[in-house]
Amino acid sequence: MKKTCIAMLLAGGQGSRLYALTRNVAKPNVPFGGKYRIIDFPLSNCANSGIDTVGVLTQYKPLMLNSYIGNGQPWDLDSSDGGVYILPPYMVEGEKGNWFAGTANAIYQNIEFMENYNPENVLILSGDHVYKMDYADMLREHLEKDAALTIAVQQVSMEEATRLGIMNVGEDGYINDFEEKPAHPKSDLASMGIYIFNYEKLKKYLIEDEADPNSSKDFGKNVIPNMLRAGEKMWPYRFEGYWRDVGTITSLWDANMDMLSPDLINLFDEEWPIRSRTAVRPPHWVGENAEVNHSIITEGCEVEGKVENSVLSNSCAVGEGALVTYSVLMPGAKIGPGAVVEYAIVGENTVIEAGAHVGTQPDGSEEWGVATCGPNITIGEGAVIPAGAMIYESVEGK
Amino acid sequence: MIDLHGIISAYRGSPELGALVEGRTASALTFAGRYRLVDFALSNMKAAGIHNVDVVMQKDYQSLMDHIGSGKDWDMSKKSGGLSLLPPFGMGGNKGAYSGLLEALLAAEPYLRRMKENNIVIMPGNLAINIDLDAVFKAHVASGAGVTVVCAENVDNGECHKYTTDEQGNVVETLYQRAGSTVAGVADLEVYVVNKEVLLEMLDFSAAHMRYSFHADGIREYLKRGGKVHVYLHDGYTKQINSIADYMKANMDMLCREHRKSLFPVERPVLTKDRADVSTYYSEESQVINSLVSDGCYIEGVVKNCILAPGVHVGKGSYLENCIIMRDTYIGDNVTLKYVISDKYARVETSKELVGSDNIPVVIPRAYTT
Repeated sequence: MKKTCIAMLLAGGQGSRLYALTRNVAKPNVPFGGKYRIIDFPLSNCANSGIDTVGVLTQYKPLMLNSYIGNGQPWDLDSSDGGVYILPPYMVEGEKGNWFAGTANAIYQNIEFMENYNPENVLILSGDHVYKMDYADMLREHLEKDAALTIAVQQVSMEEATRLGIMNVGEDGYINDFEEKPAHPKSDLASMGIYIFNYEKLKKYLIEDEADPNSSKDFGKNVIPNMLRAGEKMWPYRFEGYWRDVGTITSLWDANMDMLSPDLINLFDEEWPIRSRTAVRPPHWVGENAEVNHSIITEGCEVEGKVENSVLSNSCAVGEGALVTYSVLMPGAKIGPGAVVEYAIVGENTVIEAGAHVGTQPDGSEEWGVATCGPNITIGEGAVIPAGAMIYESVEGK
Repeated sequence: MIDLHGIISAYRGSPELGALVEGRTASALTFAGRYRLVDFALSNMKAAGIHNVDVVMQKDYQSLMDHIGSGKDWDMSKKSGGLSLLPPFGMGGNKGAYSGLLEALLAAEPYLRRMKENNIVIMPGNLAINIDLDAVFKAHVASGAGVTVVCAENVDNGECHKYTTDEQGNVVETLYQRAGSTVAGVADLEVYVVNKEVLLEMLDFSAAHMRYSFHADGIREYLKRGGKVHVYLHDGYTKQINSIADYMKANMDMLCREHRKSLFPVERPVLTKDRADVSTYYSEESQVINSLVSDGCYIEGVVKNCILAPGVHVGKGSYLENCIIMRDTYIGDNVTLKYVISDKYARVETSKELVGSDNIPVVIPRAYTT
């Protein structure tokens, strides 16, 4: 059986900058936007793009992610001639097993998996981006341009360009140079970390890179520069839609707030549904004295207080007299009566007891930041959690 | 594995549900926004570990079959056994509607004779209830009775079958309570656990005498033959939906936390076909008071004491009070709706005003544009 394109999804990242939220789960498994986990976006994009074979490479704390993905049924990826496969690092004969040493090494270690499908092309994805993208359109351009590698790129401001991987493009439109975080960028096209490789080329360069003892086994640092030097045809696929990397607390919070603006990213789009695995809970209830404004709320919630400019995942509770503003409540978070949660992220099943105060409004200072309470902890009655805090252990009340 | 086979009866027509049951049975009616009534029986059977479940239906079952599908949402899609949908095997000798539960079961008799389990639980598909069937089964076995009837102290429908019992909870007398009258005893919820041989005996009697009422010809005749019928008392919220008034009442009861917790306890979840909608969006102008709101709604207006199913749009300046809005209803801007039940895919255009009352709500039929 031959496949035109299969996908390999890098989901092993620890997400160390989100540490209060990723102590026990991998970054792609972090709840997002009320109904989702971050990995729902690439998985749904695959299903919607007609890519029915997806290998998910896991490494850091994979247990929750494994059970979340299961047989792929929520994304219609449970097909009989493809499907979604969890690919952990494994032992090989005569050697100890090896952890994935870098993005390129992770794919290298799974060449055997890819061979099973005899693919013509391989789509490489990250598990920490929020976006809706038709990979079939990118594949069409990749084939049309006869590229060895097509890299999805997005136009950014010159200031942002200094923090990103930038693609320089020649007159023929192909990529002729790649610079990681250039001080003086020559182009404003940033790599989105989404690649389509011709499979034979991918295999060749992965095997070569693996043999190089000085390589850090990374696509951006090693494989792509090697291909450029060898004169391979590399095409930039320009993507203009909404796309966010959610690797930091600020970017995760920002992207959640974006879900309150359906003009930025429309999740009501029936043509491009983002699917997720969720437990069935009753519709949410908004009480007699509750007030909800400019927010999204998910089933199973019980709201008796005031919620504005916030994202509530399933089964959250907001007690009477409580205020939740500019905040993200992850599944099962409970906000006690009279508590205040502002500019904050509250982890799964965490309890903010009565009268506690988490986060503050921006005060213009350098130190100000979104306050984060990790999952499964209790912030005691009347406790105060300052702006920018990262809390992962319970805090006693006053 | 529990030695109990499940049968859900969904054959009965419900003329008092009017336009709501056009082209569907009461079991397929939307309840509490995101559920269908049949979800209760299916979920309770799954929770008790029942492996084989039959759904007995007669007509207008398209919508019900579409909802239940292979049964995978209740983990009943199995290689061996699992869920069986039993529409009639052609009309045969039966030209009209089944005249009673026993006639409906006779239509499925070959299935019943082949079943491996020695006991059967029968539940109506239009009953809102959340009951521990494992506990009912254990009580049935402990009582040594051939039939166990689940009863409630009170039902507010008026009309019902009732039983007086002895100190052990075994039935002494069976009675019928007409609307507007009150007779002694506890009220039958039409949930039964029956020994297989007792049920087959009832079916033989029923076929031979052409009498099909489960109460008069099943239970009462069984008592006459010296059989033992036990009562199991259920004290949680429960309501059978047979009329538009029942439908309105039971849905509005779900705005009460105590009733909601009784039907949707965390430890025995009610499962349903999942549409995977997005979270509901509340705009800056929205105002929602004492309402149940499903996922996938888009709210820009005022919603008070309402039940909203998935995918409902409420436009700017609109005002909804005491309404039940079924899935994918589109309500434009500046609309006023009071005591309205809107069936799915309905459209209410800009600036319309529709006002019913608590006992006579306005019903907007399925996919109707006002």
